[in-house]
Amino acid sequence: MILPTMTPSSGGPVPVDVHTKILGIETSCDETAAAVVVGGTAVRSSVVSSQVDIHARFGGVVPEIASRAHVDLLTPVIAEALVEAGLDGPDLDAVAATYGPGLVGSLLVGVSTAKALALVWDVPFVAVNHLEAHLYAALLEDPSLELPLVVLLVSGGHTMLISMEHHGHYRLLGSTLDDAAGEAFDKVARYLGLGYPGGPAIDRIAMEGDPYAIDFPRAMKGEGLDFSFSGLKTAVVNHVRKHPDASTADVAASFQEAVVDVLVTKARRAAQQIGAKGLVLGGGVAANSQLRERFLSACVSDGVHGFLPSREMCTDNAAMVASAAWYRLGSDGPSGLDCGADPNLRLPLLTD
Amino acid sequence: MLILGLESATAQVGCAIGGHEGVLASSHSARGKRHAENLTPAIRFVCEQARVELSEIACVAVDNGPGLFTGLRVGVASGKAIAQALRVPMIAVSSLDLLAFPLRFANRRIAAVIDARRGEVFWAFYRPVPGGVQRTTEPTVGTPEDLAADLLAQPGETLLCGDGALRYADRFDRPNLEIAGGDHAFPSARALVQLAHAKALREDWVRPHEIELLYLRKPDAEINWSTREGA
Ligand SMILES: [Zn+2]
Repeated sequence: MILPTMTPSSGGPVPVDVHTKILGIETSCDETAAAVVVGGTAVRSSVVSSQVDIHARFGGVVPEIASRAHVDLLTPVIAEALVEAGLDGPDLDAVAATYGPGLVGSLLVGVSTAKALALVWDVPFVAVNHLEAHLYAALLEDPSLELPLVVLLVSGGHTMLISMEHHGHYRLLGSTLDDAAGEAFDKVARYLGLGYPGGPAIDRIAMEGDPYAIDFPRAMKGEGLDFSFSGLKTAVVNHVRKHPDASTADVAASFQEAVVDVLVTKARRAAQQIGAKGLVLGGGVAANSQLRERFLSACVSDGVHGFLPSREMCTDNAAMVASAAWYRLGSDGPSGLDCGADPNLRLPLLTD
Repeated sequence: MLILGLESATAQVGCAIGGHEGVLASSHSARGKRHAENLTPAIRFVCEQARVELSEIACVAVDNGPGLFTGLRVGVASGKAIAQALRVPMIAVSSLDLLAFPLRFANRRIAAVIDARRGEVFWAFYRPVPGGVQRTTEPTVGTPEDLAADLLAQPGETLLCGDGALRYADRFDRPNLEIAGGDHAFPSARALVQLAHAKALREDWVRPHEIELLYLRKPDAEINWSTREGA
């Protein structure tokens, strides 16, 4: 008999203020991270131990290898985060961890660790949705951002346009119908022999190429807020087959230009559509230089308050987990110690 | 000295507290593969039953495998976190040792056998010695047929225990072999606390970051990789 996964149970809201100190833990994929954030926005420490080098030779994240590394790395990473923050465990007001979505074996290391720490220090445990944490990355760095916000969340697993109307209240405006943007970067980079991870590799070589050399298709650019990137990958493959001498830098730059063009166009459209006060980027692909540049200039010309979280805050980190936990603790309260991991967790979306 | 033992290497997840007075309280559950969901509440429950505050714990013991990888990591990650937070040392005991230990009065060779899934088992041999058992072979992984061949090569009687022995009982159906019943299907947190206490008296402990898991199997990707590399 398989029992349904327990959703975090709520013990009622817990008052939070500018002094509330939360230890965040993030182990959903291949970054082992811990951070201490005070009052939801003041980052006292943020330690990230990346396993990128461990997985690079396999051309992608290997779940079992990631889980093994998390068990070895997490305790020292937490110790470092506490030392850097100048805090002792019992000084904390809560311990939070990502409980989904992500790789189940990796998530369980973080969740088990966080629950155990919360038990020893006798403080609340908060289970955090990884996607929600990404939404809070921008607010963490720029608390002056006003709601409603439109967040363009782009990573290896997700491509979403989300409106954040109130804290904890999200609406999905658009998402990818096939590949995530980051997935397209990885696949194209692998095809071009640029290695893994694909995002930074393409970003680098594209700087030497002509982004307008090849006019790759912009699927669904003209209308709506959904995305599709699988055709673009096929177009790159077909182009290289037909033109084996094409400069790799030009192909990479033109591919990147096509992705960025579609992402920025749709983000602007979304912000206009809901009358957003701000437009922000989040997720690993938001570290892409071309995307960052084009995004900011679009915000300036549209007169929207645009904000780009730092590269460290776009990629997976635990500060955003602690920040999201601060809001969750204040609105819903702690999670139960019987919480498990939910690898397929979705954002809690408004549907009306 | 109070020891907290966490055991989650098989389908069962358990927790126990004890010391020189023996095991004070324990909890075991073996349903639905809910290690992470069950373990933290079990620790709190066992503390309450034993009337022990976590701050009184002087050492955290964990089962470091071999076993089912994800479950194993739930116990080890929890144990490392508790030991780090309390600033106390840790003791690691193999799941196979935990299976064999309760059979120390058996008067014959013991084979501890854990179901490794994918048609394989983890096993090691033991012989009873005064006060416990002594492992005579290194923990290993292979098919039940490999183990049966191993047993055939050894004269004398052997008592098998563990969910691996029970699952593949038909492979071990021979006159000089006996399989211990269901009570000995899983390593227990009680045995963990008992064995860890003996080790603690010898100060045979490690710091949390020195805990090593006995996986005995490479991750699939690495296996594929070494095949591809011809290594
Ligand atoms: Zn992420």
